Amino acid sequence: MRTYLARRVVQSLVVLFLVSLGGFSVLHLAPGGPIAIYTMSPTMSAEDVERLTRLLGLDQPLHVQYTKWVRGMVTADWGRSYRDGRTVGEVIADRIPATLVLMLSAFVVAIVLGLATGIVSAVRQYSVFDHAMTLGAMVALSIPTFWLGLMGIYVFAELLRVLPPGNIGTIGAPFSLADRLRHLALPAATLGLVMVATWSRYTRASMLEVIGEDYIRTARAKGVAGPVVILKHALKNALLPLVTLAGLQLPLIFSGALVTETVFTWPGMGRLFVDSIGYRDYPVLMGLLILTSVLVVVGNLVTDLLYAAIDPRIRHA
Amino acid sequence: MTRISRREVLQILAGGGAAAVLAPGLAHAADTPKRGGQVVVGLSQEPTVFNPLRPHIEVDRGVHFGVFDSLWRTDEKGQFLPNLAVEIPSVKNGGISKNGLEYTVRLRKGVTWHDGKPFTARDVKFTWDLVMNPKFGAYTKVGYDVIAAVETPDDATVRFKLKEPFAPFLTAWGDAWIVPAHVLEGVADPNTAEFNTRSPIGTGPFKFASRVAGDHLVLAANPAYHGGAPPLERVIFKYIPDLTVLYTQFKTGAVDVTGMQGISAEFYGEAKSLPGVALHLHHSPSVEYIYFNHGKPWFKERAVRQALYHAMDKRAIIEQVYYGVPKPIEGYLPSTSWAYNADLPKHEYNAEKARQILDEAGWKLGADGIRAKGGVRLSFTNSTTAGNKLREQTQALLQQNWRAVGVDMQINNMPAAVIWGEFYVKSKFDTLLVGIQASVGDDPDCLNRIHSKYIAAETGSGRNVSQYKNPQVDKLLEDGVREVDRGKRRTIYVKLQATLRSDLAYLPIFSYVRIEGVKQGMLNYKPNSNVLHNTWNMHEWGWRA
Amino acid sequence: MSTPATLALERFVRHRPAVVSVALIVLLGLGAIFAGRLSPRDPVYIDLTHKFARPLTGGHVLGADELGRDVLSRLLHAGRVSLAVGLAAMAVTVVVGAAVGSVAGYWGGLADTVLLRLTDAMLSFPPIFMLLALAAFVRPSLASMTVIIGVTSWMDVTRLVRSQILTLRERDFVQGARALGARPARILARHLFPNTVGIVAVAATLAVARAILLESYISYLGYGIQPPLASWGNMLNNAQSYFATAPWVAICPGLMITVAVASFNFLGDGLRDALDPRHVRART
Repeated sequence: MRTYLARRVVQSLVVLFLVSLGGFSVLHLAPGGPIAIYTMSPTMSAEDVERLTRLLGLDQPLHVQYTKWVRGMVTADWGRSYRDGRTVGEVIADRIPATLVLMLSAFVVAIVLGLATGIVSAVRQYSVFDHAMTLGAMVALSIPTFWLGLMGIYVFAELLRVLPPGNIGTIGAPFSLADRLRHLALPAATLGLVMVATWSRYTRASMLEVIGEDYIRTARAKGVAGPVVILKHALKNALLPLVTLAGLQLPLIFSGALVTETVFTWPGMGRLFVDSIGYRDYPVLMGLLILTSVLVVVGNLVTDLLYAAIDPRIRHA
Repeated sequence: MTRISRREVLQILAGGGAAAVLAPGLAHAADTPKRGGQVVVGLSQEPTVFNPLRPHIEVDRGVHFGVFDSLWRTDEKGQFLPNLAVEIPSVKNGGISKNGLEYTVRLRKGVTWHDGKPFTARDVKFTWDLVMNPKFGAYTKVGYDVIAAVETPDDATVRFKLKEPFAPFLTAWGDAWIVPAHVLEGVADPNTAEFNTRSPIGTGPFKFASRVAGDHLVLAANPAYHGGAPPLERVIFKYIPDLTVLYTQFKTGAVDVTGMQGISAEFYGEAKSLPGVALHLHHSPSVEYIYFNHGKPWFKERAVRQALYHAMDKRAIIEQVYYGVPKPIEGYLPSTSWAYNADLPKHEYNAEKARQILDEAGWKLGADGIRAKGGVRLSFTNSTTAGNKLREQTQALLQQNWRAVGVDMQINNMPAAVIWGEFYVKSKFDTLLVGIQASVGDDPDCLNRIHSKYIAAETGSGRNVSQYKNPQVDKLLEDGVREVDRGKRRTIYVKLQATLRSDLAYLPIFSYVRIEGVKQGMLNYKPNSNVLHNTWNMHEWGWRA
Repeated sequence: MSTPATLALERFVRHRPAVVSVALIVLLGLGAIFAGRLSPRDPVYIDLTHKFARPLTGGHVLGADELGRDVLSRLLHAGRVSLAVGLAAMAVTVVVGAAVGSVAGYWGGLADTVLLRLTDAMLSFPPIFMLLALAAFVRPSLASMTVIIGVTSWMDVTRLVRSQILTLRERDFVQGARALGARPARILARHLFPNTVGIVAVAATLAVARAILLESYISYLGYGIQPPLASWGNMLNNAQSYFATAPWVAICPGLMITVAVASFNFLGDGLRDALDPRHVRART
């Protein structure tokens, strides 16, 4: 077990290194840069712009810049944002709560609805409900998230006027949970819907596999009540593959969050990523890349370990 | 920089800056607003740089105007208004020495910083020291590096000793925000001080209260402000990246003032009839052009430039794409400028004439419908900032217009961070669709942009990205900077506009008109084209009682 | 006598949504190929007098956009672009994925470890983050979009191909071929690949769906296909502002994306059922 863990950790570090190298190269080799936005400023001269380029060290060769960045990373100095000069850690940490709230709420929506519909679909296989759910799930997976969000805004915010068109809370008003929940409704629903579809399908498939197993039939034969069979025996065993699913979903949720945050003006990490790309704020971009990679790698590691711990057959890669 | 004699400088100051009379502080006669309340300003970019001396973009100035003061400011009429200074220095009041090398400024007494400490001349000196500090990344040194020394004979007097006479000194220091010495002098690295991002301390009408990164920031009134406590309790800057969403939020009343770019022209029709809203149409000094790269083969001939101008349906662009909001223009100065030439020939949309001109110049139609001459096809790219909807529509229209006369224009747009880098500065483009504000303030000089010695692609510096070379224009530009008498200067610049128009160095399209939306009931909102942000007088804002 | 092929076909036909999807895909394909002939107008023809024309007015079946261009014509031509990117990106995905997967699966050892780690590295990136980072820094065009999407999507195919080859590698017919001294290329080509076609086909259809979706995301964010070339994604680029004045301009492209992506997803589902009976819904 310990060697397994050690090996995985080493491999994860290699992965992170590759990620950082790739990301850094792409960012710096591309045309344009963070100084370009100052070119058109009527209050800054051409000399000022050049002076700033040198100050930021952007005129130095790439490998020098990269080594500097790596050294910083290792000593927990992630650099400073080109845009406002705050440390990258501060900039990102500021945005994490908003994204977390969005992701967790979407997750909750997805799990509750996904599990419910998946279980019912499995139990009532081939019913109208089952077919409708399968169709609906597939369509839900095919809708572009941003379009769904836009339609949601159009229907609920502009036509019906029951929900706000965006933002995290009413501007300038004191904090109110009800207000925050109203603002959370559409974004969480949009982000969650796609996940509901995936969870529903996997739950259904997993449940079906388990339901067909012998021990279920035995339980039924022994006279255990229907719902108890489902919830106690089937669900418990069907949950295992779903754990992997949760782990695999992590990068996808980040992606979905980015698009959702853009549509709903949500001040989260995804929005930060899009803005930083516009400003070519390299330090923040690298920070975000590394952070998300770390989260996913750790997520995978934890999932694998959980699996290995639960199922002794899977002890090696 | 061209050398100007001391006498000339003084005459410029006496003549041009005459408007800078003793004005009684920043108190303007106005409707008296009630006390209290808040204003929400919606911005499509996020202000993140709170130290006004660090590199920043226009949107950051919104915060600077609230939190900081400068010695004086330019108001909407182009006059200097004393701010931290008691009066504008001039030769008459002894503020400017006869040789133009010494400026003595008397400072207001009793001004305090937001943390309660008194403001003194030491802070002004410190501001200059900080900007000149080679380790500090100041956004500009123009107006600072011309100063040889700053003396503070007493707490309320500052004396600037210049190396040489510098005509724009007053304008430059109108932009110079004063920062507190006692906060920043002990800091290890002023580039990364907390002051810059979390706790800026100024003498301005508002204090920095709080910020939710990526969402909004709050400025709270400074009751001890030397110009009188502002009527408002709070000003909130809300970041809404999408202009459409910004407009929607303004429509629904969540946003009180549309900041900066204001309302997009496409919403003007609807916005006009919105209840509870006041629209300010306000001329901005920016002009929209099609820039040619005169270093490229097709644009060396005046005939081609002429034909392209004739083939362009300028009216459709202004009326249809921009809903008639901006004003057509034929030169680089907006009609509000004192040197504006109103007699420039008007654009004539005539596709047939364009074809004639091109035929006569030897550009023959090829089999593919595109003209060619000497083996060179009349096919080039036009670039602008990607994502600018109205500009993209303009490009589509231009493409169609020009195709009709046998010219092939390809669209090649890029994000702002790319297009305004080397592509622009080192003249790598074919043509650009671009909006330029020649300078801050009222001066018609544009030497840096059109003079043949300022081509960065050749000499490494300068803003003549079009690579335009015209000895006649060069001379006019040099004369204009040297001439001191405003009447004579006007003649020079009128001639310059006429020359540029007849030679069609660039194709002028329109001069910007900003549609600034303000919720009804808000008082003292004053659009001002002489500053870069419409929150310049937020200490006067308030709600009708 | 039923061959495996006819059995597969039977199973496929039983999957109704998949059958409908085939019809839809054929329709979309025909629309894309014959976009020129089917379009009532030139998709780039600007007619400002028809600005925001409502559907069924002025000869515009689906109305007109902000420059008076016919929405139906643009939709058809945009379909060409979006479907082309989808299919081309799928090709890149399949080729790269199969190549990496076979090398990793067949040769194993160091190559396998390295390639597997590389695959993991790629999978650690949230797809949009990676896509956006690349697209924002590259000059956008049909070719670059195809390459970027393809290059960020091959990992699933790799894993599938690799595990399939790992399983097949130990089978008798492969061992036999090796014993006879057959070259790896021959073994791969004659024995292994034919047995992965099924899996790859399923992955390929799903890859098309995914590619179309990703292209729309990137174009919506403004870093993908640039106007005036229309794709379904960039037609939605300014969708927010259209809802108030001309909702049809915002609704139609989104609908098309959904239909196209759903069709390919259902097709993939049907193929999976057809080719692997174990995946067919278990009968209690």
